[in-house]
Amino acid sequence: MQRRLLALLAVLALVAAACTTGDTADTVPVTDGGADDTSADTTPPDTGDTDETTDTTPAVLPQDEGGILAAVRDRGAVRCGVNDVLPGFGIVDENGEYSGFDIDFCRVVAAGVLGDPDAVEFVPLTAEARFTALQGGEIDVLIRNTTWTATRDGQEGATFLHTTFYDGQGMMVPASTGFTTLEDLADATICVLQGTTTELNLTAVFNARGIPFNPMTHADNETLQPAYESGQCEGWTSDVSQLTAFKASIEEAGGEEQYIMAEVFSKEPLGPAVPDGDSAWAQAVDWSILATIQAWEFGLTSENIGSYDGDDPNILNFLGTDGFDPGLGLAPDFAVTIVESVGNYQEIFERHLAPIGLELEGSPNDLWTNGGLMYAPPYR
Amino acid sequence: MTASTLKPSTLPSATTSPLAWVRSRLFPNVRSGILTIVLAPLLVYAAYRAALFLFVNGRWEAVTRNLTLFMQGTYPRDQQWRIVAQIVVLALAFGIGAGTASAVRADVAKEAGLALPRQSPLSVIRRFWSLIAFVLLLLYFASTATPWLVVAGAVAAFLVGTLARFIPTSLRNLGWTLAALALVAGFQVVSGTVGYSWIVTAIVLAAGAWSTFKFENVEGRRALLYRALVAVAAWVVTYLAYTQLVYPGVGWDYWSGLHLTLWVSSLAIVLSFPLGLLLALARRSTLPVLRWLSTGFIELIRGVPLITLLFMGQYILGFMLPQGTNLSSISRAITAMTLFTAAYVAEIVRGGLQSIPYGQTEAALALGLPTGKMMRLIIVPQALRAVIPALVGQFISIFKDSSLLYILAINEFLGVRSLVHAQADFRAVAHAETLVFVAIGYWAFAYAMSKESQRLEVRLRAGRR
Repeated sequence: MQRRLLALLAVLALVAAACTTGDTADTVPVTDGGADDTSADTTPPDTGDTDETTDTTPAVLPQDEGGILAAVRDRGAVRCGVNDVLPGFGIVDENGEYSGFDIDFCRVVAAGVLGDPDAVEFVPLTAEARFTALQGGEIDVLIRNTTWTATRDGQEGATFLHTTFYDGQGMMVPASTGFTTLEDLADATICVLQGTTTELNLTAVFNARGIPFNPMTHADNETLQPAYESGQCEGWTSDVSQLTAFKASIEEAGGEEQYIMAEVFSKEPLGPAVPDGDSAWAQAVDWSILATIQAWEFGLTSENIGSYDGDDPNILNFLGTDGFDPGLGLAPDFAVTIVESVGNYQEIFERHLAPIGLELEGSPNDLWTNGGLMYAPPYR
Repeated sequence: MTASTLKPSTLPSATTSPLAWVRSRLFPNVRSGILTIVLAPLLVYAAYRAALFLFVNGRWEAVTRNLTLFMQGTYPRDQQWRIVAQIVVLALAFGIGAGTASAVRADVAKEAGLALPRQSPLSVIRRFWSLIAFVLLLLYFASTATPWLVVAGAVAAFLVGTLARFIPTSLRNLGWTLAALALVAGFQVVSGTVGYSWIVTAIVLAAGAWSTFKFENVEGRRALLYRALVAVAAWVVTYLAYTQLVYPGVGWDYWSGLHLTLWVSSLAIVLSFPLGLLLALARRSTLPVLRWLSTGFIELIRGVPLITLLFMGQYILGFMLPQGTNLSSISRAITAMTLFTAAYVAEIVRGGLQSIPYGQTEAALALGLPTGKMMRLIIVPQALRAVIPALVGQFISIFKDSSLLYILAINEFLGVRSLVHAQADFRAVAHAETLVFVAIGYWAFAYAMSKESQRLEVRLRAGRR
């Protein structure tokens, strides 16, 4: 009898405990960016009392304590959510070093905010997990070939900043098929990555035009590519930048000749995203990235920016040599640090995207003065 | 028994001529003859193709050039000495463990008045040949001298460790303590003294002090008091030492490659075993709440695929923990893998517990043993012995399942493969080669585990009589 009573009490206690944790769970989504692993690495073991304070005080939103910018400065590193298996945009080389177009923009942010392009912690993320990581405070900025869409801006709690690469969805087929338009692909199987805007677009475009098709979704390009090469699907749809990269490597490896259809059937502006609600951090990231475009427009490169001796007041403002500080929370000479250590937009593009077969000139990614879309607001 | 009744002439003799062997083995009758004629060319052809792939056509640059990437992934290269140190320290730990184990066997043999079966180096090679072969393959692929030095250092450290067999019998537990300490040290060489990691060292040292210094010349209760004091002192000294010693390292969030695979699966195995044991005992407990909780946990976890648990760990665990705790994705993955394995271990162990006849329990109770002692001394050892194959099977399975972390963008051993194939040089080539290499790696460890479990089974069965 007594035993029964004890059991009942224990169950009640558990239910009560579950309820209280349930209450707090609603308010959890924000973890504090400050309490992180790097600081834990270097601090001596916590004593009991510090532990208690973290338990009793409510977690602070990053914004309340100087925000992400302050947290990043404290930590001495930017946490950048990246893709590590995307040719041209983010890969890991033989020495375990990250490199690529998106990776360089992580370095741009680190150089702008911390003055050190290597002060980046790269967090590889799947397409599916990227916004959870951003909302959860696991990363400070997401630069992972992410298309800026209204839903993501609205529902995913992400704030998108200046687009770094204007892409569009295309379709690749083996040249031997002779297909040149989407209509040719009627009843064909088409390979696509799951959880991407590409997948949604494919369905939307083909349904709108009344073209019957069978999608074959893959979790990553690693499984998609062999499936495509072995003829399990007749078409491969992805962003044109990716198709270009894979076309080059398939043909180089002695595979079948590939054809990328001229038609681009979606807008894919790829750019960095930061968590909603921290405009100071958003500005710092945005202007770091804009600085690479502005430097390009001014004709400043990693080689000549340090030795500029002209007297264009706009450029002097930009370089910060005249002490101009627009109050972005960045050092006056942040642009010099960025361009010297990473390069201007054109240099970054030529370094990573030219080798995979993409052209800058005449593309939407050209400078606005050349008819492209790259346009930085005036720095004054 | 059957062997002795057979006539010697029917046994295949080692001295028969090759022709006779072919005749008796390959063409004993028409049906077998036809089978041989059909299968032999097929097998030869398959072997030829395999050899052609392995030795002639295989483009192994994808592996050789990325060998370090496969081993340690994106781990910072300027901190590589930590991993080298870890390998050496762990080899020392295993050496101390092996030395102490052999000393214990010698003690037991001496006590029983039996001759100690000698262990030749050959038997060690036979036991771990898959791992040795894998290491040799790595050395063959290596382009620098460093891996050779590391292996040499590890072998030397192991041999030094085996000197632990000369520790006097009265201090036998010191050997085990040193081995455990070296294991922890091996971990912390890389990870640094992070957060609460001092607790593990403190537990090891306190338990070691408790079991090593027994104060046998002090009578009764006082000896217990002394032992407790020594253990507490070890605990306090560890804590103080760690607060003074600030040793930054590279936490496991920055580990990847085979290094990560091995640690993640070892941790999941080591942590899930005691948890599973407790769950199994709880499920058979007479206390209803304990039984319900344990049953509920086991059935809940077993009813869910591991990949679902891993995803839940990534997306949901964060919302269930108190605010401010920022678990990294690797910690979450280890948690999910541990819980999953624990549920299976619990069921396996429960099966073992049920196989023990109730008479054993009754006999123990009749001797006046309290429940705890009965379980510890009589029931659990027999139950575990009965389920070794199933347990090791589960552990092998979680070791291989650690490759699921790849789907969470954690670059463990298999995940490194996709990094390699994103590189410009290997984007469309050598997919098969890297896959074969990774498969060999997993097989080497899984096979060694399975082999060890067979050995353990044989050894423990000998004890059953």
